[in-house]
Amino acid sequence: MTKPSCKVTFLPQHKVVDVEIGTPVLEAASRAGFRVKSLCGGEGTCKGCKMVIKKGKISGGVSGILRQSEIDTGVILSCLASVDSDVEIEIPSKTLFNKDAITGKAIDSFSGSELDIPEVSFNPFPVIQKVYLELDLPSLASNMADHQRICAAIKEKLGFSSIHTSLNTIRSLPELLRENKYCITATIGANCSAAELLYVEAGNTEKENYAIVVDMGTTTIVAHLVDLCSFQTMRAQACFNGQAKFGREVTARMIAAEKSGDEQLHTTLISDLNNLISGLLESSDISKNQVNAIVCAGNTPMVHFLLNIPTRNIRRTPYIPTSVEPSPVRASELGLEINERGLLYALPGISGWVGSDLTAGILATEMYKGDDIALLVDIGTNGEIIVGNKDWLMSCSASAGPSLEGSSVECGMRAEDGAIEKVFAENGEIKYETINNAAPEGFCGSGIIDIISVLLQLKIVNRSGKFIDDASPHISERDGIKAYTLVSKEESGSKEDIYISEADIENLITAKAAIFAAMKILLDRLDMTFDDVATFYLAGAFGKHINIDNAVTIGLIPNIPRERVKFVGNTSLMGSKIATLYREGFEKIKEIEENTTYYDLMGADDYVEEFQKAMFLPHTDIEIFE
Amino acid sequence: MDIPKVNERWTSQINEVTIGATADQGGTRSKVITVGGQTTLPGMTFEGDIPNSPVIAGYVSDVVPEWPDFLKKAIGNEINSPTEWAQKCVQEFGCDLISLRLNGADPSGDDKSAADCAKVVENVLKAVDVPLIIWGCGDDDKDAIVLQDCSAVVKGENCLIGSAKESNYKTIVAICKADNHKIISEAPVDINIGKQVNILLQDAGYDLKDVVMFQTTAALGYGLDYVYTILERARMTGLKGDKLMAGPQLADVGGEVWRIKDAVASEEILPGWGDPERRGPSWEAACAADYLQAGADILVMSHPSAIKTIQETITQIA
Repeated sequence: MTKPSCKVTFLPQHKVVDVEIGTPVLEAASRAGFRVKSLCGGEGTCKGCKMVIKKGKISGGVSGILRQSEIDTGVILSCLASVDSDVEIEIPSKTLFNKDAITGKAIDSFSGSELDIPEVSFNPFPVIQKVYLELDLPSLASNMADHQRICAAIKEKLGFSSIHTSLNTIRSLPELLRENKYCITATIGANCSAAELLYVEAGNTEKENYAIVVDMGTTTIVAHLVDLCSFQTMRAQACFNGQAKFGREVTARMIAAEKSGDEQLHTTLISDLNNLISGLLESSDISKNQVNAIVCAGNTPMVHFLLNIPTRNIRRTPYIPTSVEPSPVRASELGLEINERGLLYALPGISGWVGSDLTAGILATEMYKGDDIALLVDIGTNGEIIVGNKDWLMSCSASAGPSLEGSSVECGMRAEDGAIEKVFAENGEIKYETINNAAPEGFCGSGIIDIISVLLQLKIVNRSGKFIDDASPHISERDGIKAYTLVSKEESGSKEDIYISEADIENLITAKAAIFAAMKILLDRLDMTFDDVATFYLAGAFGKHINIDNAVTIGLIPNIPRERVKFVGNTSLMGSKIATLYREGFEKIKEIEENTTYYDLMGADDYVEEFQKAMFLPHTDIEIFE
Repeated sequence: MDIPKVNERWTSQINEVTIGATADQGGTRSKVITVGGQTTLPGMTFEGDIPNSPVIAGYVSDVVPEWPDFLKKAIGNEINSPTEWAQKCVQEFGCDLISLRLNGADPSGDDKSAADCAKVVENVLKAVDVPLIIWGCGDDDKDAIVLQDCSAVVKGENCLIGSAKESNYKTIVAICKADNHKIISEAPVDINIGKQVNILLQDAGYDLKDVVMFQTTAALGYGLDYVYTILERARMTGLKGDKLMAGPQLADVGGEVWRIKDAVASEEILPGWGDPERRGPSWEAACAADYLQAGADILVMSHPSAIKTIQETITQIA
C-alpha cells in the first residue's frame, strides 16, 4: 500500500510534484527538477538549501544556524524539513545552481586553449580505430575463417599483434560479410596491451568515429566531443557534479556512499554523464552509435564512483584505493549511452588522493620530459601538486574546497556567459568584464581572485581579508556579514546584487592557504624553494583569463618571475585528449603513474603551521612576496 | 685540544621601546622605562648585548580580583583601592611600572562606564611616578569606548596600551596614534598570527618600533611550554632580522597564575601539595623565571614575595 501523498508547489516557477508524506523537501525539489546548492550532504550545516514556506506546513527545517529574522519569515533548511501536507514553497534563486548545463553556443565560453588539440610528438593513433577493409573473397585456395580473415587484415593495416573479439561480434560476421561483398568497416579499440574488435559495419564508415573526453571534477564535470578522424574538438559541455547533494567534497561523498551504498553516487554520476552526452549530440548529425569511447580522468574517488567500485578504504589510513589503473570496460555495462559496444577508459591515477586528472596534467604539460624542475598545481576542489622533471616526479594533494571554481562563494558561478571574469581598478574605481560581455550574473574563479586582489590594493580589505570600515560606500552588511557590492541588482543579469562577502574571502583564503602550504612543504621535502622551479604551471577551471599578478597579490602563487608562470587551463581534459588520440600518450600516462611518488601531507607535522602562515594576504612571510 | 668557539652570531637587534614620559618629554613621570634593544637571547651576554634588563610591572586592577585570601593579605588592604595598590607596588614591592587592568568595565561583570574607568586611570597616574600599562577588560566593543577615554586622560604620558588583536586593532591604532601611546599586540599562542597582527598594525600606519608583543600567557601546567616556545621562536626570528617580529615581549604571569587551582587550592583539596601560601608565590615565581628565559622583557606580577624572587633572578641573569 502506498502512503498518502501530498502536493508541493515550488514558486516562483509553479512547479508541482506529488510526493509521499514524510518526503524531505530537498528531495521533493530534486524530483521537481531543481538543482539545489546543498553542499553538506543534507547535514543541515551549509545553509545552501534555504527555502521559504509560503503556504501550508512542513515539519522540521528550523535550525540554530538560521537567524531568528529568517525563521520568522518562514525560511527553512529544506534538507532538514519534510512534507506533511500540501504546501507552497518558494525557492530563492540563490538556492539554485545558476544553470544546469552549458548549452548550444556555449563552446565559445571555453578557453581556446582547451579546445585546441595540443601539439605533441606522438604518432597519431586514437584509442579507437576504424578501418575500412575490402577483404579478399574466400575461395578454396583462400579458405581462412571469416573472423581470422578480418583479424589478419586488421593486423596488416594497423600492426596489432593480438586481437580478441567477443562472441556476439563473431556471430554477426558471416551474414555481414557476405551481404556486403566483404567490404566492411571494423572498429577496433585498444584494450589493455591488446586490441579488441568491437564491431563490424557494412561499407565504409571510417569517418564516423568519435570519442567523448571527460574531466570529472568534484564540483564541475566537463565533456568534449572529439572527432577521432580529424582530431578536432566538435563540441563542449559542462555541468555541476550532481553528487554535490551527497557532499561538496569527495570525503563527504565517500561517507555518504558508506551510509547508503556506492550505487547512489555511481548512478548520479552516470546520469550526469548521460546528460552531457545527449547535450553534446543534441542537434548535431552525430548519433550515439558513432561514439565509440568515453575517456575519463578525475580524482581517484571519482573514478571509483564512475566504475562503482568500493571507496571505503581511500579515506582511512593508510588510504588505499581499490584500483588506480582499471581496465577498459564496456560503457553500456555501466549504463552510458554511447555505442553499445563502445569502451569506457578510466585513465590511471597515482594514489587515493592524486588521480588521473593529474597524470593527464603531467602528460599535457610534458613536465615528464624536461631537465629543469617544473611544478604543476591543479586547482580544483582539491589542489594537487606535482614537482619534478624527466628523472622523477613527486606529488601531493590538499583539500581546497570549491571556492576557486566559483562554488561556495555566494555570488559565484562557473566560467560561463555572464560570469565576471576580470575585475580591475581604474582611477580608484572598480570595473569588471564578463564572459562574452553578457549581463553580469556572478563571479567565476578568475573574477574572485581579481576582486580580492583589487580590494586589497585599494585598502578596502585588510590582509586578514576583513573589510576596513568606511573604506568604501559599497560595503554593507548582508545577513550580518560585511560584503562589497560590485554590481547592483539594476545592472545585473540575475536581477540580484552581485557582491563578495567576508565569508567568501575567508573561503578563498582558506583554499589558497591549503594549496600554498602544500606547495611549500613538497618543495621543502625536496630541499628546494620556489626559486628552483623553472616553470610553474597553473591549471584549473578559472575561466579564460587569470591575472597572474593578482594571483600573486593574494598569495595563491609565489612571487616568481612572471615568465616562469604558465596558465594552462584544464590540463586534465587536455591530457585525456592526448591519451585518446595518441596511443603512445596513453602508454606514457601509465609510465607517469609508475614513476610518480606520492607524498602524503598527513605525515607532515609542519602542515598546520605552514597553513596558518598562508592564512593571510598574501602570506605571513610577506618578504617572500616582495 | 682547542674547543672551537660555537657562539651564535645574531644579525639583528630587538627594538628598544620606551614607556612613560618625563616632564621634558611632555609627561609627568619621574623616570621612563626602556625595554628591548638586545642582540642576543636572555642571559647569553657572551654572544651579544643586553642593554636593558627585563622589568616587572605590578598587577593592579580597578576591582578586587577573585584571588585567594592569602594573596590579598600579602598585598594588604591597599588592594581595595587601585591608587593605593599601585603605590604599594612601586614603593614597597619595587615594581618598575604599573600594569592596570580595567576589569570592572566588563559588561558581564560590573560594567563600569568609560568615565569611571578614565577616573581610575587618572588617579593611578597621579598616585605613582612610574610609567603605566593600561588594559581594557577584554571585551572588544566595550574596550573600544573605555580605552578611548582612558587614553585621552593620559595623553602625552606615553603609556603602553593593551591589547591590539586581529579583531580590534583598528580602534587601538586610532586611539594610540591620537594620544601618542605604545601598543601591545596580542596573539593566541601562535607565532604566525602574532606576525599577522603586527603586519596589520603596520598596514594601519602604526610604527612597529612602538609595539610590545604579547602571546597571551599560560601558567605552569596549563600550556606554559607552548607559550615558552612561541616566545623563544619569536625572539630568535627577531634576532635573525625579521623586522616584523623584533618587538620586546610581555608575559602576564600575575594575571594568569592566580586563576589556577594548583597555585591557590588548599592542602585539603590537594593533599601533599604543601601550604598554598608558599606554593602559590613559588608557582608565580617559577612561571616568571621561565618566561624570563623564554625572552619576556616585561613581566606582569602580583605576589610581593614572587616579585622579590624574580627581582633577584633578573640581577643574576642580566
